[in-house]
Amino acid sequence: MATEIRSTTWVNTNHPAPAQKPPVTEVGLIGWLRANLFSSVGNTILTLITLVVLYFIVSGLVRWALGAFWQPIWENRKLFAVGLYPAAQLWQPAAVLVMVSTLFGLSAGRWGSIMRNLGVGLGGLLLLFAIIPIGMEAQLVMAASLALLLAGYFVGVRVPIASGWLALGWVISLPLTFILLGGGINLPGLGLRWQFAPLVEVNLWGGLMLTMLLAVVGITLSFPIGVLLALGRRSRLPVIKWFCIGYIELIRGVPLITLLFMGMTMLPLFLPAGWGNPSLLVRAMTAITLFSAAYLAENVRGGLQAIPKGQYEAADALGLSTFDSLRFIILPQALTKVIPAIVGQFIGLFKDTSLASLVGLLELVAIGKAVIQQPEWLGTPGGIAREVYVFIALVFFVFSYGMSFASRKLESKLGFGKRQ
Amino acid sequence: MASSTFPTTRPPFYRDTRVIAIILQLIFLIALLMTGWFLYSNMVARLAASNTAAGGTLSWAFLNQTAGFGISEGPAFRPDESYGRAFLVGVVNTLRVGVVGIILATLLGLFAGIARVSTNWLLNRLAGAYVEIFRSTPLLVQLLFWYAGVIVALPGIQDATELGNLGYLTNRGIHLTWVFITETGRLWLAWLQVSLVVGIAVSWLRRRYLDRNGLTGSAALPGVLVFLVLAVIGYVVADRAASMPEATAYELRRGNRGTLFEDVNRNGNYEPGIDRTLAYVPITLFDQEGHVIATGMTEGDGTFRFLNLPAEAARLEWETPPPLAISKPQLQGFNFRGGLSLTPEFAALLIALVIYTGAFIAEIVRAGISAVNKGQWEASRALGLNTGQTLRLIVLPQALRVIIPPLTSQYLNLVKNSSLAIAVGYPDLFNVSRTIVNQTGAEVQVILMVMGTYLSFSLITSLFMNWYNKRIALVER
Repeated sequence: MATEIRSTTWVNTNHPAPAQKPPVTEVGLIGWLRANLFSSVGNTILTLITLVVLYFIVSGLVRWALGAFWQPIWENRKLFAVGLYPAAQLWQPAAVLVMVSTLFGLSAGRWGSIMRNLGVGLGGLLLLFAIIPIGMEAQLVMAASLALLLAGYFVGVRVPIASGWLALGWVISLPLTFILLGGGINLPGLGLRWQFAPLVEVNLWGGLMLTMLLAVVGITLSFPIGVLLALGRRSRLPVIKWFCIGYIELIRGVPLITLLFMGMTMLPLFLPAGWGNPSLLVRAMTAITLFSAAYLAENVRGGLQAIPKGQYEAADALGLSTFDSLRFIILPQALTKVIPAIVGQFIGLFKDTSLASLVGLLELVAIGKAVIQQPEWLGTPGGIAREVYVFIALVFFVFSYGMSFASRKLESKLGFGKRQ
Repeated sequence: MASSTFPTTRPPFYRDTRVIAIILQLIFLIALLMTGWFLYSNMVARLAASNTAAGGTLSWAFLNQTAGFGISEGPAFRPDESYGRAFLVGVVNTLRVGVVGIILATLLGLFAGIARVSTNWLLNRLAGAYVEIFRSTPLLVQLLFWYAGVIVALPGIQDATELGNLGYLTNRGIHLTWVFITETGRLWLAWLQVSLVVGIAVSWLRRRYLDRNGLTGSAALPGVLVFLVLAVIGYVVADRAASMPEATAYELRRGNRGTLFEDVNRNGNYEPGIDRTLAYVPITLFDQEGHVIATGMTEGDGTFRFLNLPAEAARLEWETPPPLAISKPQLQGFNFRGGLSLTPEFAALLIALVIYTGAFIAEIVRAGISAVNKGQWEASRALGLNTGQTLRLIVLPQALRVIIPPLTSQYLNLVKNSSLAIAVGYPDLFNVSRTIVNQTGAEVQVILMVMGTYLSFSLITSLFMNWYNKRIALVER
């Protein structure tokens, strides 16, 4: 018996009502405003209060910035950039900039990731200074560096340069920078003296160049020490372990400035009388390196702890020696994990180099103090301290924020710090 | 039949890991000692060649020598006191700026951190801009900006910027209206401590009672109530019953200034160190004919001073003050008297430290709150808790566990960063120690003292915060 199923089933023969647009108050600009600024009475009050505060801050800042006296900064731009470096030999720092830009371009193309993010920032800065009329020669150097940065990037993308060679390039670039800036090699302690240009004493180096140099040298030299300390802290040998713990905690427990002063006054004491006194720059770099190593060790230790135990066991099972298992299995993984932390530490170190101004190095802040004291601005009503320090803060901000931005992009790419 | 050949001989000692470990450590230790000895002997040789006062030897005798320099703020310090005491004054000054800084930075950071997770876009972004700007610039630059760019650029004493009744801003410092504990207030202060103990005891008993009977409720509330009631009763009683010391006397100099003190040895003269000065006591000055020519209040050190009097004062009367008195700064001659005065150096250092550390704390608070699982919010909503209850009962207790460890290191950073005081001349521990080194040449000893002090700060703070962290940590069963 055939049952007509269809007869017992209700079917809506009407077409469903056409979808209506959401009300204008829920989408678009108005909806966004309602959701984010005026969702409730309390929120609306909060928004209004914030608006008033914001108005006062912004209007005050704009009024101040327009009325401020920026001439001293513009006229001292060379001082802020390189300090007292002889004007006739400025091609030497320029050569360093060109070299670093090229290396940056190649690395950005070859390795990508954070180097590409940082390279974009460097390119932007070079472009900015190639356009601003800071001086024809300087602008040409900036433009050339930019061109080499871009060329390096495309070469790096196309040509598979061995990573080892590129890393070697970076390693060589550091002593090369010192030779280029110094105009040669002058190590009276070892009886070495060779020059290609008039020698430039390190006490003439200054400005942003010195700030960068201090930070880069600090993080570079502290890297091997920090890795060794981190490994030592996890060592099974109690003597080595406790030495590393003692060193790390001692350094982390005292302010950098005590170490800087200690480096200034006590480092010469520790050397044999025949060696003479190291230059201020060397003393400051030693203090900064020893300081940075302790913090770096803690960062690297974080990476080491994040390596699953199975990796160690697998390396042992393969019969790798302790050194080989570190070299091929453990450190490559641990160091990749801590790149963002090391970038963060570099930013901190970059900011901390400002303390070198307190021990007589002419880095950015010390130059700022010197500019404030210049006789031609002494009569300025209200002084020029505000302008100078805001400018220096801006310079630090651009670099620090730029680096932390690049690092955060990397972190989100690596998937760190993501929850839920 | 398989024959297993176990090695019957032990491996040679140079392949035995236990022996290798010991040898390695011995080599390390010897290298360490040799390096240390090399550095130490160089130092001794160089020090012997130098001819500074205490530098030639590594003796600690300089600590008892007369310092010969003054310290501009903090506990009173005279140039004829010793280097050792000068160092202690520096330590107190570091703690002064450190403790106040930690409290204010925590409040600012908490506020900005909660604003960072606010659903209000504008507030959220404003707090974000604050955090990014102040975290990405060096503290030293900020400090110099606040000092040289803001505070020193303020108007002079005579045309000070007035903040209504709150105080004055000048280039010689910030002068604030402030509440002080007066002479009779000392008694009340002691009573407050007793009340605090009673309050804690009450809340402890209440907690035990609640736990034993399986009841829910607040244990803290009764304790707080008991404390408040006791405090108010104490205040009223102290206000009514307290009186000035029997032997109160005053010293009047040049017709307009002097000291109010308790004449301990009853000889009628003020002798510093023996007689006790009386702080924040209302006083009235009379001239020869008995007319009132000025009314005011003694200061924290028991002194008073009135410039611009119509006539020379001849006599003074005092009243018994209430336990707490409000003191407003007043322009007297070339400076402000009364109220709370912050020197430009202290003010700049405090502002810089609070704003800088506040930005870091804000980020820690934000991270802590966002670390709490979204499900926790939703679950507490489902249980019918409102936003305030959710934050207080569900989210913050869990966020705190994430927040406490990095917060501890921020507190330590603040104390360590206060050593930047040397850039503006605030006499903190490090600044004073540099003065001592410059005068005595006792570089090595003073560096050891400074490092030891900072390390003990770190140790004490970490111990306390670890204890607190353990208290609030998740109890895993």
